[in-house]
Amino acid sequence: MTVLTEPIRQVLNIKNFVGNEWTESKGEVVDVVNPATLKTIARVPISTEDEFNAAVDVAKEAFPDWRRTPPRARARCLFRLKELVEERFEELSRVQVMEHGKTIDEARGETRRGIEQIEVATGIPSFMMGYNLEDIASGIDEYLIRQPLGVFGIIGPFNFPFMVPMWFAPYAVAAGNCIVMKPSSEDPVSQAKLAELLEEAGFPPGVWNIVNGGRSTVSAMLNHPDIEGICFVGSTAVGRDVVYRKCGETGKRVIAQCGAKNFLLVMPDADIDKTVAACMTSFYGNAGQRCLAGGNLVVVGEGLSEREYDAFYKKVMAAYVGAASKIRVGYGLDETVQVGPLRDKGKKERVVKFIEKGVEEGADLTLDGRNVRLVGDWPKDCFLNPSVFENVTPDMSIGKDEIFGPVTCVVRAKSFDEAVEMIHKNPYGNAASIFTQSGRWAREFQYRVQCGNVGVNIGIVAPMAFFPFSGMKDSFFGVLHGQGQEAIRFFTESKVVIQRWF
Amino acid sequence: MTEAGQDEATASAVMSFVERLEDSSSQFYREMAEKHPQNKEAFLRFAKECERTKTLIIRTYQETITDALEACFSFKGLKLGDYEAGTVLPKKSNLADDLKTTIKLEEMANTFYVDVAGRSGQLLATIPRAFKKAAETRTRRMSELKEILNASAGAQ
Repeated sequence: MTVLTEPIRQVLNIKNFVGNEWTESKGEVVDVVNPATLKTIARVPISTEDEFNAAVDVAKEAFPDWRRTPPRARARCLFRLKELVEERFEELSRVQVMEHGKTIDEARGETRRGIEQIEVATGIPSFMMGYNLEDIASGIDEYLIRQPLGVFGIIGPFNFPFMVPMWFAPYAVAAGNCIVMKPSSEDPVSQAKLAELLEEAGFPPGVWNIVNGGRSTVSAMLNHPDIEGICFVGSTAVGRDVVYRKCGETGKRVIAQCGAKNFLLVMPDADIDKTVAACMTSFYGNAGQRCLAGGNLVVVGEGLSEREYDAFYKKVMAAYVGAASKIRVGYGLDETVQVGPLRDKGKKERVVKFIEKGVEEGADLTLDGRNVRLVGDWPKDCFLNPSVFENVTPDMSIGKDEIFGPVTCVVRAKSFDEAVEMIHKNPYGNAASIFTQSGRWAREFQYRVQCGNVGVNIGIVAPMAFFPFSGMKDSFFGVLHGQGQEAIRFFTESKVVIQRWF
Repeated sequence: MTEAGQDEATASAVMSFVERLEDSSSQFYREMAEKHPQNKEAFLRFAKECERTKTLIIRTYQETITDALEACFSFKGLKLGDYEAGTVLPKKSNLADDLKTTIKLEEMANTFYVDVAGRSGQLLATIPRAFKKAAETRTRRMSELKEILNASAGAQ
């Protein structure tokens, strides 16, 4: 067992970062607890509405100058930020392990994904270009320009505390807007560490602000008349019923990326070893706390007799349960560990309730992750080992709801059509994958399935920074998505100019 | 740790191993340069190569993001304990003995890099390419060490 050195050695007092200055909050303070060790690593304020409003004022004041800053100069701030984040790569990654619980490899992946967003946003001089057409009528030219709008609000989730805010922030500021970001109060440390780099990167005061808080801060953001738009990643209940609805009422732009129940189909011709390896990452990586995590594993018997299907099913399950039972769970800074704890005790309890409900509903708990076995001697409060349920039906709560924990629900489908129908009956539409060696089934799947992110022999369908992070149905509310060119369109207004000179 | 615990190395563990291997190799060559000044130039060059290899591999790892790397299913069956090589230079030994120790170290390191390159073939091309380059460096160095060994035998 090799446990890497912890970068946080004393409890940090997280402050707000407004106008390139660290400001104290008068709000209530809550502890940020390392879920693996249960030690408090930081204290974060729940900022008051006045403090949030003051940050918006600062951002609003900074906007005219920042907007006039040439795109190439704004891009250079991002280039410098990227270099500074690269220099702090390891520290930022280890901080994520401590604040969230993920493994060090997962955290490094998260840091890299965040950096990739900055890299893509540096292309703003090209991304922001408009287009034109001469002589739309005699002597008249028409052209389109993209302009920033003002101040945007960003609400970060707990499951990817560093990466997800970067789906939006670099694009917003690259396009000439200013932002007020509220990281998750559960794990705000990596965003505070990022803030340490912003001034050195060259961002003027007021362009990139961070205000810590909770629901009241979100409420202040939603109600503020000077916030032009909001980017939110979190649950469907909040995203749809609070953020999306309120933005509709107040006329704000909105990206609300929400919950999921992702189906992974295993066709009879799938490469079982590779499929199982991809599924382990999908269902159990980040302790299942991903909106792209596998939810239901659908073993499909297309074209097989009943006997052949049974044999195929048993073969898949033997490999699957064998692999899941060997996953090493423990503290993410231990390099031998493959899966870390849930973010906190409450989240573990929620997953345990799902497991209990699954048993009550008649599913077979083939592998019970409640029997916690850890690498190392850590408090078990937030840990769960991988679980596998068999004989799940899509109408069971474990078959239809998002568990957000390390649980696989195995569903049988006699045919491809039946499997696709299951996906369509589920209210979510974030991601779906098919494991097959047949181009025909792969093509049919991507053509028909109503999900925003579709994988062919891919466990986690995570779009790269230069593609939009899509989503449909109850998994996404809005029109344009985060990341890449869609984000640039979200953060800019299209203005059309028609011009004639007498 | 489960029964399978020791035969699946995480990417992080592999990188820490690389870091230790190249750091200790570099330090070893610096000691060789001090102990055998007649070949100082070559040994110091090798020490610098080790530092460059470490930088190359860590940078490649940090810049490569795949779900397989994150979940450490990419190095299945790899037992890092099999590649431990001695990097302590005996105080009372001659150049020939030290060179033989050095060649053993290079052989072990080369085997390690060839193995991890083979196991990471399904990842982004940058990862196996970096490991292969490290293996090639070790192979070339072995030839140079053998030349020095032959030359020293001739001189006696």
